[in-house]
Amino acid sequence: MSSKDPVDVYGFINAKLRARIGKMRQDRLVENLLKAPTLVDAVAQLRDSPYRPVAEVFDHTGDLQQMELVLLHTEIEMHRLVTKYLEGKSVALVNHLLAKIELDNLKNTIRLWYSSIIRRRPIRYRSEYLFKERILNPINWTALINATRWEEVVALLSSTPYGEVAAAVTAQEIESDGLFALESELDRSWYLTLITIIDTLSARDREVARSIFLVEIDLRNLATLVRYGRYYQMEGKAIAALLLPWGKVAASKESAAFLAQEPADRDGPALINHFYRGLESLKVNGQRGSVHSDEPGVLENMKIEEYLGQRRRELYQKILGGDPFTVGLVLAYFFLFKEETATIKATINGKYYGYSEEYIRGVIG
Amino acid sequence: MNLFTRPMRLLTAVVLEETSDSVVKALLQLGVMDFVHLNRLDPAQMEKLSSRPSAISRTMLEDLRLRVEALLRQGHLPLPSAENLDVRRLEKPDMESYRTTLDTLTASLLSIKEAQKQNNQILMGIEEIRRYIDEEKGEYLDLRVGTIEGKSQSDLASKIASYGGLLEPLGESGKLISLTLRRDIGQVDPLLEKFGWTESSDPALQQQAVGIIRTRLERERQKALEGRVESERAADAIIAKERDTLFAIWGNLRLNELSDQIKGYFSYTHNTTLFSGWVPADQAEAVRAAIMEASGGQCVIEWTEAGEVNRAEVPVAIASPKALKPFQNMVNNYATPEYGTVNPTIFVMIAYLTMFGLMFGDLGQGLVLVLAGLLFSRSYKKNPLKPDGMITRNVANLLVYLGLSSMVFGVLFGSTFGLELFPALWFPFEAVVAGHAPASSLISDVYGILGLTIKFGIIIIYAGLLINWVNLGRKRDWLTLLLDKNGIVGGVLFAVGLYMGFGFVKSGYHTFPSQSWIAPTVIVCLVGLFLRPFIHAFIEAKESGEKPAIGALLMDGVMEWLVDVLEIFTGYLSNTLSFMRVAGLGIAHASLMESFRQLSGLVDGFGGVVIFILGNLLVIVLEGLSSGIQSLRLNYYEFFSRYFTGKGVAYSPVGLTTSSRTRS
Repeated sequence: MSSKDPVDVYGFINAKLRARIGKMRQDRLVENLLKAPTLVDAVAQLRDSPYRPVAEVFDHTGDLQQMELVLLHTEIEMHRLVTKYLEGKSVALVNHLLAKIELDNLKNTIRLWYSSIIRRRPIRYRSEYLFKERILNPINWTALINATRWEEVVALLSSTPYGEVAAAVTAQEIESDGLFALESELDRSWYLTLITIIDTLSARDREVARSIFLVEIDLRNLATLVRYGRYYQMEGKAIAALLLPWGKVAASKESAAFLAQEPADRDGPALINHFYRGLESLKVNGQRGSVHSDEPGVLENMKIEEYLGQRRRELYQKILGGDPFTVGLVLAYFFLFKEETATIKATINGKYYGYSEEYIRGVIG
Repeated sequence: MNLFTRPMRLLTAVVLEETSDSVVKALLQLGVMDFVHLNRLDPAQMEKLSSRPSAISRTMLEDLRLRVEALLRQGHLPLPSAENLDVRRLEKPDMESYRTTLDTLTASLLSIKEAQKQNNQILMGIEEIRRYIDEEKGEYLDLRVGTIEGKSQSDLASKIASYGGLLEPLGESGKLISLTLRRDIGQVDPLLEKFGWTESSDPALQQQAVGIIRTRLERERQKALEGRVESERAADAIIAKERDTLFAIWGNLRLNELSDQIKGYFSYTHNTTLFSGWVPADQAEAVRAAIMEASGGQCVIEWTEAGEVNRAEVPVAIASPKALKPFQNMVNNYATPEYGTVNPTIFVMIAYLTMFGLMFGDLGQGLVLVLAGLLFSRSYKKNPLKPDGMITRNVANLLVYLGLSSMVFGVLFGSTFGLELFPALWFPFEAVVAGHAPASSLISDVYGILGLTIKFGIIIIYAGLLINWVNLGRKRDWLTLLLDKNGIVGGVLFAVGLYMGFGFVKSGYHTFPSQSWIAPTVIVCLVGLFLRPFIHAFIEAKESGEKPAIGALLMDGVMEWLVDVLEIFTGYLSNTLSFMRVAGLGIAHASLMESFRQLSGLVDGFGGVVIFILGNLLVIVLEGLSSGIQSLRLNYYEFFSRYFTGKGVAYSPVGLTTSSRTRS
């Protein structure tokens, strides 16, 4: 890889993805979706877009979760398509991003399993909303959702990268403490592998990937600090264990001081402002407030999430304007694509429940 | 079809405000006026005029129309078009009532969709169990046969159903079959216990139970599937039932949008309305008569000829027959020609099809293209809602033309699927490429083909120059006509270059011709080219009375001359040689066909036929695409660059057929 000219490696995919990004912007699908007054109008917007199969599923089933399953399938296929045009170490990075989709699917499956076996709530048809085809690793999704004991789940995951994390948790812990620790550990493990993969990239790719993911990790850590430190009022030690040990936030004196404070005294916006200036200038949308006006904490958290989302968007915009022959463009495209599909999901659900355009905008950030 | 862009006239009219609505309707019905704002009047006059804000914003009209379209599309109905618009039905839209109608219909639709979702979920649950039975994954299922004591069977059945399971009597045995998922055993066990379930240990009954439960599952599946499909039909039906209402709402909203668009160009005095717009000269009388009739004769109409206005401000209307639409689209994709110049569509068609035929001449493959084009067109006609695929509607139409061109050249080259089934009318292209052309062939080797395409290129370039000279003559731009690189001077220099080039080839690549007239001709042309900016500046100074800065003029003139000379010597040469790609693609086509022919000959029987067919398909797809793209490229860069300025403004009249926004 290092011996190969970056133009040879990224030239084609760069042109292809830029064309797609251009079309994404030209279509203004997200904007049109948000402006659609009803679910029927939102689905109409999808009919003229690359998401036409999603609209067709609505015609045949009327089921929003089935539509989401088609979106997930599209997302997986998009990763595979990009992988086909790449070579060398960047393939491992893109595959690891695909592994994040697999991980999310795994978390959804385990949540459903937990609901069925531990909480004893029949899941009926819901297992059919899970993506059951192979994503990356050989996981028998059907067996997983039909497992009757935690030990079976662990055994089914034993030959996958998730096996070790699953095996470290006992059935008793799952039953008494829920899935939070397991999910946090799975995420941490994914990030650990990510950092390892980034370190194997070429110098230019490494620099770009680090600049993206370290900021991602910082934003995630900030969200964790504020969410669990301020709103869930968790102990400092417990929160510290949730932080990803990379980036500038986790190791900072400010974070340590924030965690050392009493939960009621923790000032989330001040902490964020220390790392990314300008949070005060953000206004909480009035319309959005009208839906959950009785929950100022929720609103404040949404405001922070929205702010962090904006920082993330700015980061990717910057990447798009930078060196075109690095893995940066691929990562920026994934971000934009994911943002688009996430907005489609949020919008069709929002329209289904009759939420206003402003409220949905607030939720998606 | 006009050889030139359509002549236009500018209308300015004053009508009484009370008749302005009738005038709008009349103009909308005619749909030929490209409106302009009156701000070209002198500022003092403009101060006396005012505008009227719309009662309902166009965005609101548009948004509501899009809602109607969304509903119609949800019902899989074709959208209304201009044909459904009747200007006589234009009335003030009752937005509130429209909204209520749409909201009610949407609510009904969504409640049907909710029912559909529930059927889908039932179906999903059944499908999961059915799949496990079919795939013999009994380990995920919990199938039991037994009896219950005293309690209601239907009660148990409904409780088991809440876990997605089934309870079914086992024939006349009095026993029951319970089928649930093993993952629900933690809930099912206590439930069955509560109902006093006694398990049967008879393996024969278990076997019998599987068959019975399969039948029941199939029945339930069918029921849920029908329910889901029925919901889909009901959703379509509810919209189909309201089709006429939706079409009426759509029509009035669209008419109001268009009417508002026209009124946006209107200016008002105390009791009169003024407006202005371009109309094709051949429509001028119809427009005048319509305004007169709509205003009851109480109007003032004034005409301005296009020649009295800056050419760049006159909109350009091109009249081409519908059959030439694919080529008209090629021109439109490039740019709009200048007002009063040659309409290039017919020339593009001739040049494009000839180039394509030269590169892809084959009777059989051409026939395949024609059939493919007709099939795609038919499919689009049968399903007007179908969105454009990779082969768009336009490409489908173009394929028919390309196929016909390929067939004609196939006859000229004597080629049918790469086989020489009949003698070539012109010369056997493939035989020439393969090196076994008959002695009687007009062209005997590939150099002959290269020479032929270069000559073809020269014809195309001169055709472009000729069109340019006609355009310049019509614009009365005599200086550019005479002394520009694409003017007569450029044409003469190109001719001299060609004479020199052909002379060099004729001498066996030894010497250039050295006739005595060559050098003086070149020098006169170069001097003329050099003088052009100075003559131009002189004429401008004479007209405006302002003297140009001599230093800057000299510097610009010399630089322009150097660039022009460079462009003439390199540009014309490269443009001419560029046509060798026509030969290149043609040779590649013939070579590929010869290769596949030989390959298929190496394999006996069916295998040979398969190779022959696959080879032809590959050539049709890849070579067809390459030839189409290269022909377009040659038209755009080699042909258009000689005469097409692209400075025109497209004529866009407001009428019933004006395209509407489908998405913001």
